Amino acid sequence: MGGVMTVKRSTVAKVADLAALVQHECTDVLIQYRNQENLPNDMGSDRLVFVSPPSSQLDIRSKLQSLHSGLDKCYSLLERAIALEKMELDRDQMSEYKNGRRRLKEELLNLLKSTEELLKAAGGKPVRNQDDLEPYHPNNVFHLKLWVYSVYIEVKLWSKTAFTVMKELQSAKEPLKRGKRSTRRTLQ
Amino acid sequence: MIRFWFLLLVLIRLGQQNQPGVSPCGPRNLTVSRLDQTVLVQWEDDASCSALNDPILYNVTVLVENQDVHSDGVWVAPGLIGSTHSWRWTSPVPMDCAAHTFRLRAQINNQTSRPDQHWTLPDKEAVYSRSVFPQDAALEAGSLATFCCVVPHGQQFHQMHLDGHTGNTTKISEHRYALTVRLKPVKESGADVQCETKSGEVHGATVFIGYPPGDKDLQCETQNLESVDCRWNEGRNTMVKVKSETRYQLDGSPCVIGSELRCSKKVKIGGGERNWTLTAQNVLGQVEIRDSADLTRRVHMFAPHDLSVGDVEARSVRLSWSWTVQQYQNLSLSCQMMASDADGSFLQIKHGVGLKAAVLTELKPNWKYEVKVRCGTAQHFWKWSDWSSRVSFHTDGDAPDALDVWMQKKGSQTVIVWKKLLANQSHGDVTGYEVTWTRTSGSHRLYKVEVNASVHRYTLDGDSIVTVTAKNQHGSSPPSTITVSAASPDETSMNLSCFTGSDGGLDLSWSHRPEASCGYVVDWFPALEADRVDWLKLPPSQNRVRIKPKNDVAGRRYWVSIYACTRGALLLLERKDGFFTERQIQPKFFQSLSYKLRGSDVEIYWDPVPARQQPACIHGYVLYYSKNRGEPITVTTENPADSSLTARNLQSGFYTFIVAAQTVAGAYGNTTLEVLLNDEGSLNNIFISMGAVFILLFLITVLCHRHWACIKEKFYPDIPKPNLADWFTSPVKSVNPYLQSGLGCHGEENMAVPELLLKPAEPLNNNNQEDVDLMSQAPPLNHSNPAQGRHAVSTVFPNPTYNLPAAGPGRPAGPGRPAGLEPSDYHPQSLAEMFGQNQAGQKPIICVSEYIMALQPTQRAAQKNGGKHDGDSAESGEFNR
Repeated sequence: MGGVMTVKRSTVAKVADLAALVQHECTDVLIQYRNQENLPNDMGSDRLVFVSPPSSQLDIRSKLQSLHSGLDKCYSLLERAIALEKMELDRDQMSEYKNGRRRLKEELLNLLKSTEELLKAAGGKPVRNQDDLEPYHPNNVFHLKLWVYSVYIEVKLWSKTAFTVMKELQSAKEPLKRGKRSTRRTLQ
Repeated sequence: MIRFWFLLLVLIRLGQQNQPGVSPCGPRNLTVSRLDQTVLVQWEDDASCSALNDPILYNVTVLVENQDVHSDGVWVAPGLIGSTHSWRWTSPVPMDCAAHTFRLRAQINNQTSRPDQHWTLPDKEAVYSRSVFPQDAALEAGSLATFCCVVPHGQQFHQMHLDGHTGNTTKISEHRYALTVRLKPVKESGADVQCETKSGEVHGATVFIGYPPGDKDLQCETQNLESVDCRWNEGRNTMVKVKSETRYQLDGSPCVIGSELRCSKKVKIGGGERNWTLTAQNVLGQVEIRDSADLTRRVHMFAPHDLSVGDVEARSVRLSWSWTVQQYQNLSLSCQMMASDADGSFLQIKHGVGLKAAVLTELKPNWKYEVKVRCGTAQHFWKWSDWSSRVSFHTDGDAPDALDVWMQKKGSQTVIVWKKLLANQSHGDVTGYEVTWTRTSGSHRLYKVEVNASVHRYTLDGDSIVTVTAKNQHGSSPPSTITVSAASPDETSMNLSCFTGSDGGLDLSWSHRPEASCGYVVDWFPALEADRVDWLKLPPSQNRVRIKPKNDVAGRRYWVSIYACTRGALLLLERKDGFFTERQIQPKFFQSLSYKLRGSDVEIYWDPVPARQQPACIHGYVLYYSKNRGEPITVTTENPADSSLTARNLQSGFYTFIVAAQTVAGAYGNTTLEVLLNDEGSLNNIFISMGAVFILLFLITVLCHRHWACIKEKFYPDIPKPNLADWFTSPVKSVNPYLQSGLGCHGEENMAVPELLLKPAEPLNNNNQEDVDLMSQAPPLNHSNPAQGRHAVSTVFPNPTYNLPAAGPGRPAGPGRPAGLEPSDYHPQSLAEMFGQNQAGQKPIICVSEYIMALQPTQRAAQKNGGKHDGDSAESGEFNR
């Protein structure tokens, strides 16, 4: 029935902070990875997340839907990247890179869950990615390294996108509505 | 296009084979196989060759990307015709990178045979669409390696490098480039060969650069007497484990390697010495290491199993265990038993064949232990086994150990004290003590008293032999005896110098005394808490010891005594007091400082600080003094009994004196005294005082001189001559000597002070604050007491207005007074008024009375004139009095 469900702006701000944290952590991991593998700083990467970015033309719920899908795909890719690295390359003991990689995964999961909560609050429904049924198998180690690099680039891009979306939500006057249903949530 | 022309050429050649005059003998069934960069070319002879009696020369040509890069010849003797022939070759170019074609042609008697055979190994780029080769290869560090890059169509080659290091790059064909570098190990996750195009695309491959295994230090032994167990060290890291884990074989049998480098193999033990070989292998190579041993001399036993405790007594316990290997029961064994308690651990060792039980002795009664066992072969000992699991037990109780008894003299009485038994001495709960004694002289009667378990002293008087025992539920301790002498030890020759300890303790040493038959005793106690005595008994051979009181507090003074234990009474050898730990003396240590001036010297003295208030040994005192806070000068004394120090030859000025006590750590307890030494000031004061006296005398002299007549009249007046005729007939000559002085003792200038007037009729203006202020500045005319004022003005010292006749021409106007006003406003004061104004400073009344005694005719005339003028009887009445 009627009623307005609200999401505190402080909650959105926390998610924004979380996105900034993921972005920061990912930048650090990328630097360590580049140094470790002697990759050029300006090296390009392949796109691995084929989700439309949340355009400014979309309403809040659609933005969150798009963001959640992108982050969800990123998390799946990162999980796979870490598993492959452990399987193919991890002979060294614990290193700063591995610690950073572990933290990045944990913080990305937090960001994903927080985004999911916001999406639910906005009346959206989280959709799991279905395209990861065929996980990536590297042809060779170098390709694996490039692929891992591309994964980090994707995580960085989508954490930046998350930060931008959260900032938009913070300044938005539009309430977080639950679509056509009577129960609404507004952003306070 | 190139391939097209190449195929066309081959077809043409095939067509030529059918031409007449060309030998049909040649290769057939050509095959080319490859292992990494090495190829094996194999072929057979055509059946037509079997008839030949001449050798056949097979020419092998290698084309890389259709360019002739290598040729070779293989001679086949007639006897070998019909067999399979082979040729082996290693390509310098990564074979995955470029297609390799092998062409084979026979030549017999310088005649080319039938058309050749060829075999092409395609590049992998064509197969897998990869760009950089080799991919994921393991390569040996130090070797020279060539990497190949196939630039995709439409791209232009930019550069190649291995892990950032560029090497020698060569162009193989239009789109193929090779990089040759000397390999160095980089990291276990592999080094990357990257090939960059001018458009910025990066292609690459990962290679693993490392070493063949370097394992070493093989050592083999047996544990179960049925198999050999070998261990070794890895040596240098191969760096290629990601790609190629090292595989091990022991005497040809593969090893399963877990977390440690160890491999076992079933063998028969007892065959004497033999060799053991371990092979370690990876993709880059292998190493063999050997050990030679007779395994019967290398028995590394398993740990004793099922350790248990039985027959627990006060000081011993029986341990038993079992063996998991039955053959151990036939071995001569040595076993270590390690018992641990709260204080530490100790070992006992037992020997025996197939040992599986032992008695652990020298235990403390009523004590908790933990024990473990390990064993090894006694004959040809090799190694100890691992320790067994631990077992705990608690020994039975026993009678207490003997008490440590000492005594303290307290006047004529002696306090017998003993130390409370520790848990490892009491062997159970102490229930009480028994003190018995007999007198050393007189009756030999035995006195006995029971002392509560919580009390550890008993007081006696007189000479006695005292015995103390402790009791618990298991019995009484051995007796502890001490001989008490009623006489106090002689302390007159004791060294009473103050000692300072180090690290909370004190190192003592003394000369051996032949009479110390039963050793020495050192005791110590706080100077203010004599009951807290502690002591140490030492054997006769020991004449040095370090003592350290428990629960010491910095700054607490102790007494320390050294006794010789003789057959009779104790002999006091040395006594001293001091501090195990000193405390820094705080500022203002001295109650107060005082000083005495002794000429130009100043003696600073202080009250001696009582010993109980001293937190450290005082070895003297220091006096710092400085003038006007300048550079300080130091005076010291090394006598702690001194209570003063003298600063000498001081000049006047402001002095700061600081007294400090000298301790081992330095001078502390600064107490300050500041003194102004002022001899210049004193002289100044004297001079000022003398000057003041001189001025006073001068003033008195002047006054006396000016009032000489008055004084003379008062003290020794001239007796007037009774010359009445002169007095009446010659007024000029007969000037009254009294009037010569100018109407009074104070002379004429007093006549010129007429302003102090208050007309009785004038109102007093005192209505506002300003007025109040003004009033407060007014002369003291006794406004607050009008009655008194009126009396003083109108009654006692009237200030009448005289209308005197005009002064004669010879009389000048007074200074400061307008001459025009003088005739009418001149208000000469009466003598009474005049004196009234000066009564504070002088006592003129007497003179006035004397003066009035002799009224002169001129005055009388004036009085007559005045009386006629205003008829004021009051004035005349006063005047006549």
